[in-house]
Amino acid sequence: MFTFINTTLIGITSGSIYALMAIAMVLVWRSTRVINFAQANMALLSTYFGYEAMIHANSFWIALPVAMVGGALFAAIIELVFMRLLVKRSTTGPIASVAPIIATLGLLGVIRAVVASIWGGADAHIQGPVSNTGYSIGKQTLVFSPLKLLILVTVVVLVLFLTLLFQKTNIGLALRASAYSPEIARLSGIKVDFVRTLGWSLAGAAGAVAGMFQTVNGSGTFSPDSIEFALLLVSGFIAAVIGGLESLVGAIIGGLLLGLVISFVLMYISGSLFFIAPFVILLIVLFIRPQGIMGAKAARLA
Amino acid sequence: MKAMNRRKLFSVSAVLAAASLVATAIPANAAEVGVTASEIKLGMTLPMTGTASLGYNKIPGAAKAYFDYLNANGGVNGRKITLIVKDDQYVPTQAVTKTNELILKDKVMALLAPLGTANVKAVASSVNPAKRGVPVLFVNTGFSGFADVKKYPTTYSILPSYIMEAKIMGKYIAENLSGKKVGLLYQDDDFGSDALAGFKAAGTNFTVKVPYASGSQSAATAAGWITKFKAAEVDVVILFGVTSASLYMLATAAALKYSPQWMIDSVGGDSTTLKLAGVPAGVLYNAIGFSPVPATTDLTDEYVKLFSDIYAKAVPGSAFDLNVLLGMNSAFMTAQALKAAGQNPTRKSLMAVLNTKGSTLFNSALSPVGYTGTSHVGLTGEWVGKYSPTGDLLPIGGIYTTYTTDSGAGAVVKSTYKRPAMPAKGLTN
Amino acid sequence: MFSSSAHRESWEQRRLDLHKLKTANHFSLFIVFGFFLFLLSNRVDELRVYQGASVAVFVIAISSIILLTGYSGQVSLGHGALMAIGAYGAAVARNELHIPIILALVVAVLLASVGGALLGAAAARLSGPYLAGTTLALAVGLPSLANQFAILGGEQGLVFDVGSPPTKLGADFTQYKWFFWIAALAALISMWLLSNILRSRYGRNWRAGRSNEVAAQLSGINTGRSKILAFTLSAGIAGLAGALLSMTIGTVSPSAFPLTLSFSLLTGAVLSGVSTLSGVMIGAVTLVAIPEIADVVANRIGSSENITTNLPGLMVSTLLILAVLFVPNGPVEQHRARTAKKAAKKKS
Repeated sequence: MFTFINTTLIGITSGSIYALMAIAMVLVWRSTRVINFAQANMALLSTYFGYEAMIHANSFWIALPVAMVGGALFAAIIELVFMRLLVKRSTTGPIASVAPIIATLGLLGVIRAVVASIWGGADAHIQGPVSNTGYSIGKQTLVFSPLKLLILVTVVVLVLFLTLLFQKTNIGLALRASAYSPEIARLSGIKVDFVRTLGWSLAGAAGAVAGMFQTVNGSGTFSPDSIEFALLLVSGFIAAVIGGLESLVGAIIGGLLLGLVISFVLMYISGSLFFIAPFVILLIVLFIRPQGIMGAKAARLA
Repeated sequence: MKAMNRRKLFSVSAVLAAASLVATAIPANAAEVGVTASEIKLGMTLPMTGTASLGYNKIPGAAKAYFDYLNANGGVNGRKITLIVKDDQYVPTQAVTKTNELILKDKVMALLAPLGTANVKAVASSVNPAKRGVPVLFVNTGFSGFADVKKYPTTYSILPSYIMEAKIMGKYIAENLSGKKVGLLYQDDDFGSDALAGFKAAGTNFTVKVPYASGSQSAATAAGWITKFKAAEVDVVILFGVTSASLYMLATAAALKYSPQWMIDSVGGDSTTLKLAGVPAGVLYNAIGFSPVPATTDLTDEYVKLFSDIYAKAVPGSAFDLNVLLGMNSAFMTAQALKAAGQNPTRKSLMAVLNTKGSTLFNSALSPVGYTGTSHVGLTGEWVGKYSPTGDLLPIGGIYTTYTTDSGAGAVVKSTYKRPAMPAKGLTN
Repeated sequence: MFSSSAHRESWEQRRLDLHKLKTANHFSLFIVFGFFLFLLSNRVDELRVYQGASVAVFVIAISSIILLTGYSGQVSLGHGALMAIGAYGAAVARNELHIPIILALVVAVLLASVGGALLGAAAARLSGPYLAGTTLALAVGLPSLANQFAILGGEQGLVFDVGSPPTKLGADFTQYKWFFWIAALAALISMWLLSNILRSRYGRNWRAGRSNEVAAQLSGINTGRSKILAFTLSAGIAGLAGALLSMTIGTVSPSAFPLTLSFSLLTGAVLSGVSTLSGVMIGAVTLVAIPEIADVVANRIGSSENITTNLPGLMVSTLLILAVLFVPNGPVEQHRARTAKKAAKKKS
């Protein structure tokens, strides 16, 4: 019984971190129609900002906002300097679909190299804000702790905030309009460029949260070559695709679904299927709904 | 227009061919490849970046620290040893490419401590150091196959194989933990299957075996492992994986209040690495560990003391862990072999030294290397220890008791090997 | 104009003659290039010959991306997995059935094509990022299957031995030169075949479907089938490249097909010009040469070990970004566009 409960809890916790990453990728996609492969290393950089804050302020609750702000600022700079230039240079022809992928892959490598040069030798450790010791029911310990509860709550709060932002505010409307039809949005007076940068900044902040929580949920230690951040890149993207790249709620559903299915497959079938499970899940989901679970249906053809 | 292009192509190729003819006129070189009057060049390939590089990327710094110390003290017969290191990111294609560069472009005398079974195998098949007569010293893997002289005539193992370690673990369990339920965490590739073979030879029975895919180690997967072990209600849990596996297992076990009798393999059991990565000392306390070399925290051991001093001066701020000790140890053995190869060492004389006098090379390990002309088996033994309250691995009873065995059906016996005293100042006197 | 049948016949005849001349020209160009490579391989040192074999492998692999992405407009982040299918197919066939090398390569192409057909069929309804995500997941997951089946050799891999060069070629005909000959020949043949296919009706169908799928369908092209054909062919070519890659390293193992390999292929395609087959050498040579150059530069200017370790990665990634920003359609297209602009300016 407890095996089943714990498997579910493990899936929910890892799924919520995938969801955070997926949210970041969805935000970037919705605002600029780009898949940002550098997202995981931007999260890594933000986590190092948080680490530096931890050294100086010794409080997670200061480190987390620092990481988020740092991540948002860095993402904004990348959008302003890098992506604008890219879009100008390669909007037509077959290169249009591939250029952003290659460019963000290049960015991934550049960020890793810079981070490793600056912090490479450090044994970076971040202490979580609350205990990660599991709650006990009698003699059994659940794979659920104050920290994991905090992660869940943060994800929910973040999504609520972002959904409200998108649906209820003018800026949110502008974000949605700019993604679907930048020319028309510009004609109606929306500052499309500002909105795109905003989208990236929000994504940078979400990525920072993912990176920080991923680290403290683990051993607390991380490095430029951590397995966790490598997994974050692929899992975040796959979760975003499962959920449909258009929807934040889809990102959560995608993340949770991915986390839960992998957890159950590992527990009840075999631990060796860790890498092949996401492909099978993706194939099944996209077979039923080619645009992802919450994705918008493509326009009807002639 | 097309005809003119074709003519251009012909003339260009003709010119290039002529130019290359001139370029290939290389002067004959009398001395051995990689050996000059003042320098001996060695080459190393290993993952320095990428997820497989964790921990291992300290090895070049460690080996270079020893070589620099040696060079400052006269070198080997007046020659300095230079180590050229190339990053292969644990990809066999890159291992082959970089090794080709080392042998064909940088013209090293020998290859030192290449890492990874798949990579060493690819190099053996493609670069073929055996055919070129290039020594491949002290491969950094526990795969037992590299000790086979017929298949890999110029390759020398150093680490006890995974099979040996599993047999030693099995013997310890049989003698001290019989009747207890045992669970095993293992990597689902050849690392793990070698372990399973060793445990089978030792007759160990497992209540549950939990495989993990290499590269999937994380807090989440570790929680899954623990859930499985808890459900099987085992008393002893053997961790036979890489450092990141034991790391996540132990850190998560603390969070889940799970504390069976831990038994950790040497690859994943270095206390310095684990503690620095966030495993509480309290979790390690009383776990059982194994190692072929003295504990990296045991400063009463003359090798550990000297090597950590050298390393602390060469790479200040970096912790002295198992990878560093093994790296410096291999560098130390290489230097001795080069010295014994004579005033004008050649690849052949270097290998002759290893084949005939290999077992007399000084090294920090507590079992001798078994090199002969027909076997390139390296170390054959490990001692058993328990982690102290501060999380350091110390020999049980305070004395290093080493057990030795082979990679086959041989029994596990207590070793009677007495490690000879370290040569003065750890040099190749 | 086309009223008299005699007139029509001569027009058709002229078109046919011109077409034959073009094909013949291309064929002779490939022969000439092959002869040049043969000359070169006899005069260049062994490391360069090995690199030449790697370049040939990349030429084949990158061309598969040019076909799929440049012509058919489908993005694949998983061609490493298709290469792996070809490699394992060739290795298992050779090890179990002891067939000659050329048959093993055929097995590689066929097996990978089947994989590509299945993937193409599954992916036919997927657009842009969804296809990218699926192929990414495949690239991550497929190599790990090698640990599940004993016949695939596990993590340490299978041996893939193409045999020594035939003795009549001489005693000092090195193994690497043999690899180069095999790989270069395979590259020449596949490039010639591919360039003809790309200029055929199928190539035009792919380009039509890529530019505007609705319009293509309206003009009678079955875009679904066309896309699956592109995937199948691209996969087969990738499978050939995979088998040849394994030939150069003598083994097949999962770690030889990491995610970064798929990314490298995409990179090479962008560097060549993603829809320019004639630029494929540029991408291949860059992929092989840049890491070595980056290493040399890093060792020369690197002051600490930290810098020398990380500088090559930084240089390669920066080069990538610069290439995408400033030469997005590849140097060949860039050059053509510039000369066209100059010509237009001269006229005006």
